[in-house]
Amino acid sequence: MTIEKTKQTAAELQDMQDDAIKQLDPTEPDPSGAPDPEPEQELEVPRDPAATLVRLWSVSVGEHWRFAVVLACIVCYTFAHIAAPAYSAHVIDLLWGNIQEAFARGEAFTIGWDTGGRELLIFVGIWTVAWVFYTIQNFTMASFAERLNLKLRRLIAEKLNRLPLKYYDAHKPGDIMSRATNDLDKVSEVLQRGLLSMLIAIGSVIGASIMMVRLNVVLALVFFAFAAASVVMTRFVAKKTLVLAAEQQRAVGVLTGHVEEAYSGRIVIKAFNQEHESSKRIHEATQRLADTMRKTDFVTNVVAPMVRCLVRFAQVVLALLGTGFLMRGQLTVGTLQAFFQYVNTAAEPLTQFSLTMNQLQSALAAVERVFGILDEPEIEPDPAEPAEVARPVRGRIAFEHVRFGYDPERPLMKDVSFVAEPGQKVAIVGATGAGKTTLINLLMRFYEIDGGRITLDGVDTHAMTRADLRRNFGMVLQDAWLREGTIAENIAYGCDGATRDEVVQAAKTAQVDFFVRTMPRGYETELANDAENISQGQRQLLTIARVLLANPAILILDEATSSVDTRTEKAIVTAMERLTQGRTSFVIAHRLSTIVDSDLILVMDHGTIIEQGTHDELLAAGGAYASLYNSQFA
Amino acid sequence: MRTLLRFLKPYRLQTAIVLAALAVNLAGVLLVPTILANMINIGISTGDFDYIVTQGMYMLVAAFVSGAGAFACNYFCADLSTKVGRDIRNAVYDASLAFSGGDFEQFGTGSMITRTLGDVNVIQQAITMTIQMMLPVPFAAVIGVALACSIDMQMGLMLACFVAVVAVIAVASVSKAATIFQKLQQFIDRMNVRLRESITGVRVIRAFGKEEVERKSLDEAFSSFATNAIRVNWIFATFDCSSFFIMNIAEVATIWLGGNRVGAHAMEIASISACVEYAMLILFFIMMAQISALMLPRALVCLERCRQVIDHEPSIADGACGALPARDAAGDSEGAAEKACLKAASPGVPPMSALTSRATDGAQGDVVAHFSNASFRFADADEDTLHHINFMCRRGTTTAIIGPTGSGKSTIAKMLLRFHDVTDGRVELCGLDVRDLTQEALREHISYVPQKAWLFSGTIADNLRYGAAHATDDELWHALDVAQSGFVRELPCGLASRVAQGGTNFSGGQRQRLSIARALVKRADLYIFDDSFSALDFKTDAALRHALAEEVADAAVLIIAQRINTILTADQIVVLKDGCIQGLGTHEELMRTCEAYREIARSQLRSDELEALTGAAGDAKDDEIDGRDAAMKGGE
Repeated sequence: MTIEKTKQTAAELQDMQDDAIKQLDPTEPDPSGAPDPEPEQELEVPRDPAATLVRLWSVSVGEHWRFAVVLACIVCYTFAHIAAPAYSAHVIDLLWGNIQEAFARGEAFTIGWDTGGRELLIFVGIWTVAWVFYTIQNFTMASFAERLNLKLRRLIAEKLNRLPLKYYDAHKPGDIMSRATNDLDKVSEVLQRGLLSMLIAIGSVIGASIMMVRLNVVLALVFFAFAAASVVMTRFVAKKTLVLAAEQQRAVGVLTGHVEEAYSGRIVIKAFNQEHESSKRIHEATQRLADTMRKTDFVTNVVAPMVRCLVRFAQVVLALLGTGFLMRGQLTVGTLQAFFQYVNTAAEPLTQFSLTMNQLQSALAAVERVFGILDEPEIEPDPAEPAEVARPVRGRIAFEHVRFGYDPERPLMKDVSFVAEPGQKVAIVGATGAGKTTLINLLMRFYEIDGGRITLDGVDTHAMTRADLRRNFGMVLQDAWLREGTIAENIAYGCDGATRDEVVQAAKTAQVDFFVRTMPRGYETELANDAENISQGQRQLLTIARVLLANPAILILDEATSSVDTRTEKAIVTAMERLTQGRTSFVIAHRLSTIVDSDLILVMDHGTIIEQGTHDELLAAGGAYASLYNSQFA
Repeated sequence: MRTLLRFLKPYRLQTAIVLAALAVNLAGVLLVPTILANMINIGISTGDFDYIVTQGMYMLVAAFVSGAGAFACNYFCADLSTKVGRDIRNAVYDASLAFSGGDFEQFGTGSMITRTLGDVNVIQQAITMTIQMMLPVPFAAVIGVALACSIDMQMGLMLACFVAVVAVIAVASVSKAATIFQKLQQFIDRMNVRLRESITGVRVIRAFGKEEVERKSLDEAFSSFATNAIRVNWIFATFDCSSFFIMNIAEVATIWLGGNRVGAHAMEIASISACVEYAMLILFFIMMAQISALMLPRALVCLERCRQVIDHEPSIADGACGALPARDAAGDSEGAAEKACLKAASPGVPPMSALTSRATDGAQGDVVAHFSNASFRFADADEDTLHHINFMCRRGTTTAIIGPTGSGKSTIAKMLLRFHDVTDGRVELCGLDVRDLTQEALREHISYVPQKAWLFSGTIADNLRYGAAHATDDELWHALDVAQSGFVRELPCGLASRVAQGGTNFSGGQRQRLSIARALVKRADLYIFDDSFSALDFKTDAALRHALAEEVADAAVLIIAQRINTILTADQIVVLKDGCIQGLGTHEELMRTCEAYREIARSQLRSDELEALTGAAGDAKDDEIDGRDAAMKGGE
């Protein structure tokens, strides 16, 4: 019996649980912004384990010596660990010899320095050596695993800046986050527990087998026969476990669906007096889940006891044979007992082997997912000799025969041209989903166009660095993103080194100064957790202040919608009016006044501009705009 | 803990079987080395092979019994934990059904889902862990020490000492671990917050060119996590390694003491190995328990979270009155209702309070809903959300409520449905205080279209029949037509079309119309539309209201709206601001008298439209649709 098997057993049970918990936690409310756990898990298999391992090895450059230390320690530990029972056999035989001698002399026997004491001390020495290597290897592996993780996380952090917006739009934040946190935590866990105990187990099994053969070939063969049987059995059960896990997954999915639905729609359930029906539905789902869980739990947890039971049967056979050998003097007492210790050493890893394999595979699959992110295509680098716009920027934007589609095969914009003169107000209208954000994406170069060009003051934006281009734009979107930090820091986000006076001035212009002063700590108030402690409207005002301070030449604005109360809405309108003075502005319009007064109206549908002109021109044309206007802005 | 016992109670038998099976299993496990020692001892001393074979048989039986015990223990453990898990889930869900709006919001939807799913799973796994990895400790310790004592008293005592030392280390490490993990969790949270921010804010970050700043701040979060994670792992390794050392010292000490005791004729040589084996087994179980005990604090938190839900006293209790008089017997509804309820009222419940708001049978019809000086305050608020609300909805008329977000409009609807209870004053339905009715009876008379149009997974027909299980297909189609849901006819499967969870496979406007149709299928005395027309374009909105007027002519209608167009033609408009009624009357009256109403009108309509509306108001009253169109044309 040794320690690593304890660790392994418990760690694996816990891992299985953690996975199970993750599966059951699809909607952990996100107080900390924890990633959405993925539903899959368990069934994952790496696509190319060898390549992934090689790559992982090359990523861990600089940490290789740690891994070498770990390996060396494992080898030394295994030697000491395997030597110990053999030495204990020697000690016991020695003691037994001394005792029999003493008894023959008719004396009682006590261990003295020369009659076994020295050997016992050496025995302590062997264990101490084992302990030292065990400890070093544990500490080093912890460092290795976490440092490797840190490296991968840093790579992800760098990669995040080079990923095109396309990637962000196609993936849920939780997907990306769980790569960087859950997946890598799993890797670290597996490196520290799974891999370590796996390596030790391999060493122990090999070492113990060799020792058993050396002690007694017949007994060793008997043990190998039982060991083979138990390997076959665990493999069978492991397969069964995967099938059951999938079944459980489905039951979890059904229950999760029902529960989410019921809680979200609880007002409807109550208003329509459907409590009883709903309760029945949930009870059925929990029953189904309990049924499959019982099977899965049982099958997963029964492997180890079954293998141990098999090993005990082996022990019975070995005991009978062994005692026989003992009586015929072919074995000593110590050797027989040492043999039994080796049986235990070699048998316990067998109970865990298939589960550990599953675990290692799933960790490799996790690493592959991380590499998957790192391998995503990146945005093209900025030109080596970027074009620059003459200062001060006037803010003339021109689309010239722009062609664009999120999927280049299916272009949305085929040939779009328009000009926004400096200081002009451009209104963008269209139904929800007509692609108003597409325009922003192109202006800001969040997406690259497929043809034609967009110019700023006559300079092709594609020839500029992204940073230079974007510096000229200010965005106020409905999804008012604020960073964790104080209100002052948020307002000064686009303008490093702004003084407090400038911040307050911007807040005043944005009509948010009064609100900020009502907060307990004023401008030093910390905005926590995606700024949930302030309302949507106030957040938008803060983003207006942020843009005001950055003082860009061109604006992109999303007007406030109905989710904001009238008073705040008025404040937003005023603040936006102040903001747009003297700047070219693109306004996603929800309000009549904006549209009617604007210098240019772009009517969007299906991701492209279908009409453009002034209000009067477009009404007179009697096209899409006219009917939209008549129906929606009544 | 008491909560857990409550859920274990129905399974006393299973629990007993699990414990018995566990004891059998461990006794078998510990007997194997004992018998082995016997065999060797006899083998060396007497060489009696028959005895050895007999002992071998015993050993086989012990191995078999122990295996069977492990098998049974596993099975009943899985059975027990999953059944308890299922029962807790059911209890949490059923408890939630009795919650009022306030009760539920106190927990929050996300948290409630976690409590029903994830939390219960943690509890369930903790039960399994406890049974499989922690309970063996006391059994193994007692049986092991007893067996060692039966071999030799001194050996038994020494074994007991080692067990005690390792147990103390285990307890220390577990209690230390709990605090360390909590600290580590903060670093994990920090990592998550940073990541989420830099992902959700990618557009803003890039717009301001702050990529490098964000990367550094991410880096910092990652590094501080790594540093702390390494430290935590080292602390664990320290505990782990000291247990390892003690186990090995125990082995050496056992051999040393054993040698002496054999020398003193107190025991026999092979029994040393038996004692070593006992020590290793017990320490092995303690260390397993140590690792799995790390999970218990978390499980206790989860259990507590479930208990909070299960033991939460719903803030809204059913009244005594199980039924309002049927809608058809509207002739003398109040009188009948009063009688019905007086009969139903149990002695403890005061009889119906006086029916003060008896409708004057007039041209406008009887009073269906009546707010009488009603005030409402959320449990955790300093100020009333609604102040002294007074108005009534009469049968055959439309009442509209308008006001800015946060003015308390939706709360009014929720008070009628008793999702919230008044904190002062009263709300009556058909002359009865809503608190005197059972919630079921109350809601039977109200049909409600919630602000968020929520549909359930299933077919369109399933959804429409939600409030009226036996409605015919014709009735469903009729309701769909009224609700302007012609699009259903164009769906290949018609009424049998699938609806995804929440109705997400339909657009916002379609969902809203389906949810209106669902409300219309149910016959009721009062129809409440809570901001239900906001996702509809003007034409649909107008057509729907036109069709609706005929459909619900013999019921009262309450429309809550933000858009002023939707409510221009209501029989009475309640203007709500900061929880107070600012004005009550028709559009024209309010335009003359109510500043708050004029402000809303001004913010939503252009001045020329307003003029036109005021001018055309007289016509609009006569024929709402035509009047509105005229106003529109005037506006352009």
